[in-house]
Amino acid sequence: MRLLTALALLAALALGTAASAAPPVPTITPGQLTVGVSLPSEGFEVGVAKGDQVTYAQGFDIDLARALAKRLGLTSVAFVQSPFGRLFSSGSKPWDVAIAQITITDQRRRTAEFTQPYLTVDQGVLATQTVKPIPRTLADLRALRICALTKSTGADVAKTVVAPTRPTRLIGNVPTLMLNLQTGRCQAVIYDAPTLGTLKARTPDRYGPFVGVIKTGEQYGVAMPKGSQALSAVDTAVGALVADGTVQRLQRKWLTTNLETLPTLK
Amino acid sequence: MTRGYLVALVTTALAVAFAFPAGSSAAATLKVWFPQGEQLVSVDRPGSTAADAVAALLAGPTAAERKQGLRTYVPARTTLNDVTIVNGVARVDVSLQFVLGRDAQSLDARLAQLVHTVSGVEGARSVLLLVNGGTVYGMFPGIVTSRPITLKYLETPNVPASHTTAPPATAPVAGLLQAQQKLVSLGYLLPADADGKNGPQTQTAVLAFQKWEGLGRDGDLGPQTKAALATAEHPAPITKGPSGKRAELLLDRQVALAIEDNKVVRVIPVSTGKPSTPTPPGDFKVYAKIAKWWSTPFREWLLWAVPFNGGIAFHEFAEVPPYAASHGCARQFATTAHWLYDFAVVGMPVKVLSTSE
Repeated sequence: MRLLTALALLAALALGTAASAAPPVPTITPGQLTVGVSLPSEGFEVGVAKGDQVTYAQGFDIDLARALAKRLGLTSVAFVQSPFGRLFSSGSKPWDVAIAQITITDQRRRTAEFTQPYLTVDQGVLATQTVKPIPRTLADLRALRICALTKSTGADVAKTVVAPTRPTRLIGNVPTLMLNLQTGRCQAVIYDAPTLGTLKARTPDRYGPFVGVIKTGEQYGVAMPKGSQALSAVDTAVGALVADGTVQRLQRKWLTTNLETLPTLK
Repeated sequence: MTRGYLVALVTTALAVAFAFPAGSSAAATLKVWFPQGEQLVSVDRPGSTAADAVAALLAGPTAAERKQGLRTYVPARTTLNDVTIVNGVARVDVSLQFVLGRDAQSLDARLAQLVHTVSGVEGARSVLLLVNGGTVYGMFPGIVTSRPITLKYLETPNVPASHTTAPPATAPVAGLLQAQQKLVSLGYLLPADADGKNGPQTQTAVLAFQKWEGLGRDGDLGPQTKAALATAEHPAPITKGPSGKRAELLLDRQVALAIEDNKVVRVIPVSTGKPSTPTPPGDFKVYAKIAKWWSTPFREWLLWAVPFNGGIAFHEFAEVPPYAASHGCARQFATTAHWLYDFAVVGMPVKVLSTSE
C-alpha cells in the first residue's frame, strides 16, 4: 500500500508540473463548467429539464459550451435552466457562465460581466401566412399588428424603428410568440434573425414569408457573474473559438446561414 | 329513426353483450393510434389502463398492420417509465429516445400518436409529456410541450389552407396546339386546356404521358416525347373491372388512371409513398370526399382529399416530385386534384397495383 501511495503521489506531482503552465480555471465545481441556459430557443438550445437541472440539451449554445469547456481544459459540462432575465441580473449565480443569445448592452454590463462577442446578429421580421400584400418596407410594417418578446431587442426595435400605429403586442416567451404568429393574431414578429430563420426553415408551411432584417449589428456574448475569477480565461477561450472557426462550424450545423440573402428593411 | 340505424344499434348491443359476458373483464380493449398515409388510424389492443395503451403504442404496429401501411414514429428503443393520471391530466414519463431526432415531421407525428392514444383512457383529457421525470422544452417544432397537450389542440388547424398557385399561362407556342389535341384524344389533357400555350395543365399532361410511356420525366415536350406522342395509343386500364367509375393507382409508373366503363378518362401523374412509407397495393373503395383535410400527425392541409384506405388518399400537395415521395398518399398537382375530386364518388373502387406491365 505504501509503495502504491508513493507512486500515486509521484504521478500527482508530475501532473501538477505539466498543468502548471496553465493554472486550472476556477469554477464552481472543480473540473466542470456549469452553464446557465434558458430553454427553449429553436436551433440554439432545446432539451429536457427537471426543475432547474438540465438532463438533456442540444443546439448551437450547447455545443458552444462544450467547446468552451474543452478549450478551458475542463472535463465536464452541466447545464442549469433559468429564466432569461436572471442570466445577466446582479447577484451570485449557480453557474460559471451563461450562454443564451444574450446581446451585450451597456445596461446589462452594469449587472453582469461579458466576454468578447462570438456572434453578430440582426433582428428579423417573419410574417404570418395570411398577410397580404407582403410587407416590403418599414412603412408597410407600421400598419400591421407587430409582436415581440417582452424586454427583448426586438421589442425595442419595434418601438423605436418600426413604431407601428397600434402598440406592439409583447409576449413573455418565444413558443407563445410563435404560436400567435401561426394563428395570425400577430401579423409579423420581430425577433433575432437566426432564430426566425431556423424556425422558418424547419417548419416552412407554418409561417408566412421571412420579410427581411432590420440591421442592429447586436452581438451575443457569454455572460458571467460580476467579479468572476474566470472572466479573463473564458474571454480568451471565446476569442479562440471564433478565430479557429468553431463558431462558424456550429452556425452551419444548427442555424440557418443564408440570412445574408434577405433584404434589409428601410 | 331509420330501420338501418335500428339494426345497427341492435347489432352493436349484441356485439357488446358478446364482448363483455357477465362476470368477465378479460375482453377490455383500447384504441392505439398509428399513422397510415397522412392521418392517424386506430387499431384495437387488449388492455384498459393508460399504461397499457402507451405500452401498446411503444410496441408498434404488427407485421400485418405494417403491410397495410401502418407505421410508428416512436423510436424503437423508447421505454415507458410511468403513467399517472391526476385531474384528467395524464403525465406520461418515457425514456429520452422519444424526443431524439431532427426530423420535424417524425417528432410531431409521434407526439400526436401519444396524445391520441392516451386521450380518453382512464378519464385523461390532456397529456403532459415527461422525459425521465423532466419537462421537455422545444424538442417538438411548433408545439409547446412544457404544458399538457389536448387532442383538440393537435386537431385544430393552425395554418391557413392555401392552394398551390400555378405559374401563369405563357405565350402561344408554335405547333403546340397539335400536340395538345393529341394529348386530349389520348386522355392526358382536358379539351378546354388545349390552348396552344405551355401552361401548367399541359406540363402536367406531358408528365403523365412520359410516366405512362416510360420516358424521361421532365414535363417538357422535347424531341423524344414528341416522337413518342406521334405513334402513341390510348392508354387502357391494366385490369378489367366493373362498369362505371373506378381508379387504378399504378405504383411503378407513378400515375393514376381515372376509368369509366373500362375506358381511361384521364391519366394523372402522382407521387405515391416513398420506399420507407410505401403505398400498400390492394383493392379499396373511396370512403369519403374531403375538400380540406387537416393532417393531425403532420400538421398540414391535404386539399381535395379522396381517401380510400384509412389515412391514404388522393390529395393536392405543394410538392409533387416525379418519383415516389409521400407518406403513402397519392399526391397530385393543383392541375388535377380538383378534377379527380369531382370525378370520384364515394364507393368508387380503387385498385392499387405495384406493377402494371
